[in-house]
Amino acid sequence: MKNLLSINTFALFWRVCSLYILGAFLVTTNSYADNQEPTIVVIAFPSTSENTISRSSLRAIFGMRLNKWPADTPVKVFVMKDDTPEHGAFSKNILQVFPHQLRLAWDRQVFSGQGQYPEQVVSLQEMLSKIASTPGAIGYIKTSEVTNNVRTLQIR
Amino acid sequence: MYAPFKFAKTVVERFVPCALLLWTTFAHAINLMGSELQLHGFLTQGLVTTSDNNFLGQSNKKASTDFREIGLNASLRPTSDLQLSAGLLSHKAGGTDNGEVRLDYGLVDWTVSSNEQGRSGIRLGRVKNSYGLYNKTRDVAFTRPSVLLPQSIYFERTRNLTVAGDGVEFYLDRNYEAGNLFVTFALGKPQLGSEASKVALVGLVPNGRFEPKVAQISQVMYEGDGGKYRLGYTVLRFDTPYKPGVKDVLQAGQLKSMVQIFSAQYNAENWSLTSEYALRPISSRNFGPNSPDATTRGQSYYIQGSYRLAPKWEAILRYDVLYTDRDDRDGQAYAAATRRPGFTRFSKDWTAGVRFDLTPELMLRAEYHRIDGTAYLPVQDNPDPRALERRWDMFMLLGSFRF
Repeated sequence: MKNLLSINTFALFWRVCSLYILGAFLVTTNSYADNQEPTIVVIAFPSTSENTISRSSLRAIFGMRLNKWPADTPVKVFVMKDDTPEHGAFSKNILQVFPHQLRLAWDRQVFSGQGQYPEQVVSLQEMLSKIASTPGAIGYIKTSEVTNNVRTLQIR
Repeated sequence: MYAPFKFAKTVVERFVPCALLLWTTFAHAINLMGSELQLHGFLTQGLVTTSDNNFLGQSNKKASTDFREIGLNASLRPTSDLQLSAGLLSHKAGGTDNGEVRLDYGLVDWTVSSNEQGRSGIRLGRVKNSYGLYNKTRDVAFTRPSVLLPQSIYFERTRNLTVAGDGVEFYLDRNYEAGNLFVTFALGKPQLGSEASKVALVGLVPNGRFEPKVAQISQVMYEGDGGKYRLGYTVLRFDTPYKPGVKDVLQAGQLKSMVQIFSAQYNAENWSLTSEYALRPISSRNFGPNSPDATTRGQSYYIQGSYRLAPKWEAILRYDVLYTDRDDRDGQAYAAATRRPGFTRFSKDWTAGVRFDLTPELMLRAEYHRIDGTAYLPVQDNPDPRALERRWDMFMLLGSFRF
């Protein structure tokens, strides 16, 4: 009887364990569904004076806290929607800020009158055309989509 | 004086919700003479029900809908160094706020110097106070961690003391490879002239009012590693004279306080841990025989964890504690001196809640509170202290739309 009970407990343990692992697996795949993260580069208006940019400046620019280029021209920030793989990869890998943290930082500034939102574009094509045609523009794109109409900025 | 407010209120209450629904189909940014005008807003409706006591309206064993926040704001950036912003707010909160439309903030933000290393500048006008982690956007449900902000620090009761100041704020940001430093120093008059502020500070009986006098708020906030952790320190100093009413029970006294808040937050990809601790000594002087000079040292803290269950779901758990007087935590000395219940001098609130983001513009929340003590309840909703119950439960629902 005692033996039987211990076997049952053991079997139950493994059943619960496997369910837990399955559950954890589902949750993980759900939240990291985009594990094929695209490689992203920072791009800017072609005649921008800079070729390189520091991560802290990028964070300040995309955090909407630095509104001018070193040459005094206004910065114009373009982003894609929060849930796009490009925005996720840019935030996490380039800025090293979680997308929801970035959103919260913008919200806190906009709803207290201390900043404005960046302009949101709906497609890679729109991102490319806005960056190519707006003086002071900065944005990002998949490495494979870069054209000669925009300047690529290296992170220093 | 009141006619424009009434009109604005009608506009906000009737017209704005309809406009909001239409708005999503249009752009939020309008090009105005070469610079961008951004318009944004939100509409939040809450539902509150309690097992005992009233909070945010008549909630005792009933459902109160007297919790509503409607905001509309505009900002314009004529040059990269200058921003003009204004926000209107209608905040309906039970007996403490009737939802009258008022200017939440209205300011000119001038960045005096700005480069890769950081920036410095000045904000002039009505400026939201840098007070703890959440005050600047305390009425914007999307930026709050829960339906109700931790009441030990972000009182509904005395919100006018801290919400915004009319004056000036100096700011200094530094960008380092490892993180950012944000420093602000503000001198501003709080919006203290109202009846609600008087009731919060001295109760229902005295019939005078407080004269707003310039308060000082300083804050230092460090955000490490792109905001993964945030450490902050805030000091608020105020000193406000009381102007007695006709045959008032109080004389022309003065309230003086220095509030200090220590804030800490850690943000991982799927979870956050937040804690704030506040010391709130307040001294009253020269109020006459009915209110001898005294200093009560208030103490507050909360610890809060949130977890992102899935991209659109977030769960939160918090323990929030408030002591009106830390030398008399259980309120027994107060009870003996005033014959009022001692449990009105503390509140310990366990909160569990979930947030569901239906779309980026639409959010739903549900929250359960189990509270021991009634210190954070406004007297306007609970005029009779003998009717208060020490242990009570509260359930809240909230829907919020923004554009």
